[in-house]
Amino acid sequence: MAGTVLRRLAHMIAVLFGISVLVFLIFFATPGANPAARIAGKDASPQTIARVEKQFGLNRPLPVQYALMMKKLFVTRNLTSFVNLGEKVVPQVFKAAPVTLSLVSGAAVIWIGFAILIGALAAAFRGGWIDRLLMVLSLIGISMPVFWVGTMANLITQGAYHHTWLFSWVPPLGYIPFSRSPLGWFKALVIPWITLAILYIGLYARVLRAALIETMQEDFIRTARAKGLSERQVLLRHALRCSLVSVVTLFGLDFGVLVGGGALLTEVVFGLQGVGYLTYQALETLDLPMIMATVIYASVFVVVSNAAVDIVYAAFDPRMRVRR
Amino acid sequence: MRRILAIFLLLGASLATARAATNTPEYGGTLRLVTTAASGSFDPQINYTLRYAEIYQAMYDGLVTFAKVGGPGSIEVVPDLATNLPKPTDHGTTYVFHLRHGIEFSNGAPVTVQAVVHSFRRLFKVNSPNAGTWYDVIVGGRRCLAHPGHCTLPGLIADPATNTVTFHLRHPDAEFLDQLAVPFGSILPADTPDRDMGTMPIPGTGAYMVKSYDPSNGIVMVRNPHFHQWSAIAQPKGFPNRILYRFGLSAEAQVTAVENGQYDWMYENAPADRLNQMATHYTKQIHITPVNWFFYAPMNVNIPPFNNKYARLAVNYAVNRESAVKLSGGNALATPSCQILPPQMPGYVPYCPFTRNPGADWSAPDWKRARHYMQKSGMIGQKVTVVTQIQSPYRQLGVYLQGVLNRLGFKASVKPISPDLQFTYIQNSNNNVQISITDWAQDYPAPSDFLNVLFSCKSFKKGSDNSINISGFCDPAIDAEMAHAELISLKHPRAGDAIWAHVDRQITRRAVVASLLSVNRLDFVSARLRHFRFSGEYFFLPQLAVIK
Amino acid sequence: MSQATELRIDDIAPPAPGYWATAMRKLRRDGAAMTALTTLIVIILLCAAAPLYARDIAHTNPFESNLSGTVLRHGKMVEVLGAAHNPLRLGVEPIGPSWKLGPYMLGADGQGRDVAARMLYGGRNSLLVSFAAAVICLVLAALTGILAGFFGGWTDRAISWLLDALWAFPVFLLAISLSVVLIAHGIDIGPIRLDASSLALPITIIGVIYVPYVARPVRGLVLGLRQSEYVLAAIGIGAPSWRILWFDILPNVISSLVVFAPLIVALDMLTEAALSFLSIGVQPPAASWGTIIHNGESLIYTRPIVAIAPGLAIVITVLALNILGDGLRDALDPRAKLRN
Repeated sequence: MAGTVLRRLAHMIAVLFGISVLVFLIFFATPGANPAARIAGKDASPQTIARVEKQFGLNRPLPVQYALMMKKLFVTRNLTSFVNLGEKVVPQVFKAAPVTLSLVSGAAVIWIGFAILIGALAAAFRGGWIDRLLMVLSLIGISMPVFWVGTMANLITQGAYHHTWLFSWVPPLGYIPFSRSPLGWFKALVIPWITLAILYIGLYARVLRAALIETMQEDFIRTARAKGLSERQVLLRHALRCSLVSVVTLFGLDFGVLVGGGALLTEVVFGLQGVGYLTYQALETLDLPMIMATVIYASVFVVVSNAAVDIVYAAFDPRMRVRR
Repeated sequence: MRRILAIFLLLGASLATARAATNTPEYGGTLRLVTTAASGSFDPQINYTLRYAEIYQAMYDGLVTFAKVGGPGSIEVVPDLATNLPKPTDHGTTYVFHLRHGIEFSNGAPVTVQAVVHSFRRLFKVNSPNAGTWYDVIVGGRRCLAHPGHCTLPGLIADPATNTVTFHLRHPDAEFLDQLAVPFGSILPADTPDRDMGTMPIPGTGAYMVKSYDPSNGIVMVRNPHFHQWSAIAQPKGFPNRILYRFGLSAEAQVTAVENGQYDWMYENAPADRLNQMATHYTKQIHITPVNWFFYAPMNVNIPPFNNKYARLAVNYAVNRESAVKLSGGNALATPSCQILPPQMPGYVPYCPFTRNPGADWSAPDWKRARHYMQKSGMIGQKVTVVTQIQSPYRQLGVYLQGVLNRLGFKASVKPISPDLQFTYIQNSNNNVQISITDWAQDYPAPSDFLNVLFSCKSFKKGSDNSINISGFCDPAIDAEMAHAELISLKHPRAGDAIWAHVDRQITRRAVVASLLSVNRLDFVSARLRHFRFSGEYFFLPQLAVIK
Repeated sequence: MSQATELRIDDIAPPAPGYWATAMRKLRRDGAAMTALTTLIVIILLCAAAPLYARDIAHTNPFESNLSGTVLRHGKMVEVLGAAHNPLRLGVEPIGPSWKLGPYMLGADGQGRDVAARMLYGGRNSLLVSFAAAVICLVLAALTGILAGFFGGWTDRAISWLLDALWAFPVFLLAISLSVVLIAHGIDIGPIRLDASSLALPITIIGVIYVPYVARPVRGLVLGLRQSEYVLAAIGIGAPSWRILWFDILPNVISSLVVFAPLIVALDMLTEAALSFLSIGVQPPAASWGTIIHNGESLIYTRPIVAIAPGLAIVITVLALNILGDGLRDALDPRAKLRN
């Protein structure tokens, strides 16, 4: 077990190293990406640019620059932005994290709740029109681009129907910290939550339905039935609990990705200054230190959630240890 | 009796002042401004953005400044920390400033001649963007550029006894006072560290000071306790007690927030989609002012196909400026233009050779001539790429221009890239950009800031990301004429302006760029904001706004 | 577009004789899948007819700005892009939909181009990008998955590391960074020269980023097959590797790839739309449904149809692909469980 964890850890570090090198190389391969001219300002003289290059260490060999950047990012943690000079990037990422966390956790509550409801209903009425309807709705949910749903939601709640009683409570786009106003926080996030959740409701409802139907054929369910429990009780008490395992691992992976910045599109559409938005902005302004920090932040979440799921699997299933 | 009368008089007087106070509630309140994001270092000697210049003017002072008033007077340079506006002596190379007494920075330190000297040395030590293009005219500036660590700047002499500073220039410079008046010329405390202060605000002498600065959240400005008004035109006391500048709302959200009265003014241009609704329901909250800012398509005169003058002429005759105006929000927000100088600039004389009826103004594209020149150029079938930015209106202008080029017979494609990349990308001659879409706004209202900066031989630097002469145009004769205009302007501004107008026509006729339009700035303010004042140099003057 | 949307294959056995014929028969009996297939074919045919529509019905070039043009509406000539009606004459409004087959049926976009014609052309690009990217993805995934699963050892470790890095690199960030670089410059690797404005870029990017999604289950499948009795037996009698790969492994892999294909195409279509929405996918003046939504977003108050219509097109197409995917799974491999 300890060996598995250690091996997994080494693998994780190797993956993160690969990603950071990739980001670094992509950046320096981009023509016009050299920040010296932009830092120096429009129409600066060549001497000024040369001095800026020296000051920011941009004239040193790439491996040295890479090592310095990693040191500043992880050891001294004082890596500063190329765009907002003097702005430390690590605190920026941690400042954006609560926004993303608020968005993703709220959405997760919604999607888990609805997915269980829909999955259980569909499984209970398997083959009937309710099942069909719910599954078609789930498929539609999976088929809608999230940014389009968000744009449509904005059109309705911010534009066309904003002045009707139905949506006049919707605040302007943007995030309101929970500490400033819990109600405002809720109002500002409820539409983004639903928008983000739709895809996952569809996804999880389908997975859950399939798992439930499979579980219902297992031996222990037959035993429960034999004990004289009603079909609905069997479904809710026994089968559901067992089927949730498949959803939990899926949830671990999805949640990791989203918290790391995977909700970028939702954040951009709703103007929420989360980690995804930060990354997007950094990429637009080609702010390498910020890109590096956010990409590594995101990758850590993906890698860790993957590893966690794998290790949990390995703990339960001894065959996995041999395979991995 | 007399005493009673006196009491009555006193009472009356206090009543009168009380009424005056309620009648003039101008002073006080919090002005709330909003923008999308921070704009780089907060150091006034380094930051080169309008976003911050608009608020620096209320926090910092130079020896001189542009008058902080609305309207045409706002492009006049007036004395600020200096008591006088010196006339240069020694054939235009020596300027003597007398410093005002009794002015303090917001940290309580006095403004001294040492602070002035320190501030100008600091420009070189912190790599101020224009250290090598503007301020190296001061004797010793060149050495400071090369060795900033040992910068002494012998051309700047301080005399504490008489409280004067004297500048010696290497050569006469008609724009020297303009360059002292912009925020780079701010006088900072003598103990300000010689490095980019980044997010740490530096104390200034203005009516307001920064209470907190957070690049991800915003700026809180309060009254400077050490400030007393020495010149209402140079540094007015200002009406609001606090000015908040919040970061983080998209332009779309800003419009909504200003409509709802949550903010009093937005920095960003309102999205084109919202203009109609704003103009219909919030007509009185919109202020539109023409500014010195133009959009143009530079054509690279050093590589095919635009090294051929006929090809450039063909483009200029074919471009429909009215279409470009439509893409920029319509006639209220833009004016068609064929020339380099924008309408508000001294020396501007309307001129348009590239139109159906050549004369002062543009009327319609002349496809007959365009096709004729295209034939003559022999460039039909040549491949051309338009490099533009991804955001509006650049992207749309790029796609439009591509259509025009295709109709002319080029094989055109368009390449929209990130704005931060595009501006340096199109400047570097190594990238072999043929034609692009870009814009230029004034640093200060002087024709040379457009003509000399964008088209002089020394603005073209081969293979450099900072080569603002994007067309790569160089004509020694025009350079000489511009130098002549500078010299004349020093003593006879009117005569100088006439020469600049001639230079404008010369460069326009060479068709090294396709000038598209000049910009009118739209300011959208809240219903409670009164006394909106717009400066030709700093744009909206927040401290002069009154909050009710 | 969940990263964890995992494709999984369970039991392992070589396809029985008559396998494909049985599967096709089953698929033909599946009403939902056939409806989806028909819908897809109709959409593809409509998009293929884009040039005809532009020439004979819309009478416009949907790739050229029409900023000063006029069009006949209710017996009057109307500006395609007219000044908005407000006291300040502020803003410009594109002409709205006529809802009749003809010029500007769905109105004009911000550059005076016919939205309906652009929708059809955009559909071509959206379909082309997602199908081509899916092919690249499946081929690469089969290659890497088979190599890793069959040869194991260092090959497996190296490939797994690569796939993990690709997997952990946030999809959009990878796409955005690649696009930023490539859009500015194009790719220039030896004889291959990709121009920035060509569709090859989004195709390559989208094709590559989803390789781990498919390669991982393929690797698992091959790993299982490698240890199955009949492969061990084949190795035992000294059959060469290529023979085992070709006759025992590949048929299995292909049948699961066929099941994945519509789902990957659907995923690619959503990704293409998202990238274009962030203005890093298909580059102007070419259009895709994503870029039209992006253009439409800046007209959402005045002409919401510009954003609504292409969104609906995406939903319908992706829905059809997903239904078809379900049908294929049921028909081809009743034991393969596919979670999407």
